[in-house]
Amino acid sequence: MARSAKAVPWFLFAAGGTVLSFILPVMIFTTGIAPALGLFTDALSYDTMSAFVGNWLVKLVLFGILTLACWHAAHRLRVCAHDFGIRADTAVAVILYGLATVGTATAALALVSI
Amino acid sequence: MSERTIELEVLRYRPEQDQEPFFQTYKVPCEEEWVVLDALNYVKEEMDRTLSYRWSCHMFVCGSCGMMIDGEPKLACKAFLKDYPTGKIRVEPLSNFPIERDLVVVLDDFVEKLESVKPYIIPKEERTVEQGEYLQTPAQLKAFKQYTLCINCLCCYAVCPQYGLDESFVGPAALALAHRYNMDSRDLGRAARDDVVAAAEGIWHCSFVGACSQVCPKDVDPAGAIQQAKFAHGIDYLTSFLPGGKR
Amino acid sequence: MNPRKPYVRPISKTSWFMTQSRYKVYMLHEISSLFVAIYSAILIIGLVRLGEGEAAWQGWLDAVTSPIGVIFHLIAFVFALIHTTSWFKAVPQAMRIQRGEEIVPGKLIVGAHYGVLAAVSLFVLILAGVA
Repeated sequence: MARSAKAVPWFLFAAGGTVLSFILPVMIFTTGIAPALGLFTDALSYDTMSAFVGNWLVKLVLFGILTLACWHAAHRLRVCAHDFGIRADTAVAVILYGLATVGTATAALALVSI
Repeated sequence: MSERTIELEVLRYRPEQDQEPFFQTYKVPCEEEWVVLDALNYVKEEMDRTLSYRWSCHMFVCGSCGMMIDGEPKLACKAFLKDYPTGKIRVEPLSNFPIERDLVVVLDDFVEKLESVKPYIIPKEERTVEQGEYLQTPAQLKAFKQYTLCINCLCCYAVCPQYGLDESFVGPAALALAHRYNMDSRDLGRAARDDVVAAAEGIWHCSFVGACSQVCPKDVDPAGAIQQAKFAHGIDYLTSFLPGGKR
Repeated sequence: MNPRKPYVRPISKTSWFMTQSRYKVYMLHEISSLFVAIYSAILIIGLVRLGEGEAAWQGWLDAVTSPIGVIFHLIAFVFALIHTTSWFKAVPQAMRIQRGEEIVPGKLIVGAHYGVLAAVSLFVLILAGVA
């Protein structure tokens, strides 16, 4: 047997899981449920959001959360695939980590352009 | 002492005559304070001498009598009949292991894995007898004490789906024991265990179902040990790429 | 002739998790990642839209508040809670803290995590309500 490089995605998974456990419920409520309830309409207006996300610290925090969320989900879905009986682990890993890379890159580009 | 008849449904498998296992029911006159192992012993002594199963100490120390009792891996010596009020108990050999005969499973794979993690102290410095013993503080002992309590009963393997699905996984008890030595202040063997423990088949195969820790009769918490090991070996892996890191 | 003939009991690779309730609970935790993935994608698209101007952003908001959007976010919210509670429950196992000869009780670690959760949630809500 040989030492495995799985340490790298695992750290991203674990860090992501930790950050998400604190922030995810309130984030989903704020951006996904509150608008339908008519809450936070000012905060979610175009002007306020542009100014808010325009702040470099906010950009950095959002980039951190979204990157970790992408890699957390990708790694856990890889395990899920195995648990559901899919044994093509290499192909699954390439697809999921590839999607996480696309997500990370898109988030970075979007944040830079705001 | 009151008596009660227990219907013991035992999975039988006699390799010389059976193509596959089958359930055989024994109606066993049991005493109130008996454990499942007592009932099995009664069957063996009074009803059916062909029944095979492992046991030795009858006091949760030897780890021989692990078996599936109503689908849950338990020590037969620790499973009290009073906890089964229906009076019907299903006894099967430990899941995830091949059946050798009746309730006896094949342990070769586990023994191989146990040896592979080097479950012994690899000392920082060899000391002669004249130099005296290796000293350790109570706090240093506490760091690994919990993980020394494993009795290799294999209840954890029987409930670990990852081992059941892929027996290349080193598995809970062996990895917890590796962690026990890695956490020992007298030991310097983490790098030597790295090849097996930090392999894809080692700690990284664990997906933290956590079932092993739920069924462990000695509260060893193998799942916790493996997650802690992931962190330690993960840091080892990342720092190995730094300048001066050991690769 | 070798008299040994070990019998291997078959395990389903695709439905093993239906055999025990603790496996079903585990799969529920794992499946939360699907909702994390979709929600992250929605947020990233939101940021892209925000950069494209007011109309694009409004379009994203309309999609979020559409019936499908609301239903998705409600389910995702439940899975986020499943993720948070199961993650916190596992923390004392993965992160054992020793002070001298004592192991810090798991309840204390889990309690501290819920404290941080409350603080973070309150902070975000105040930010959203005041900003």
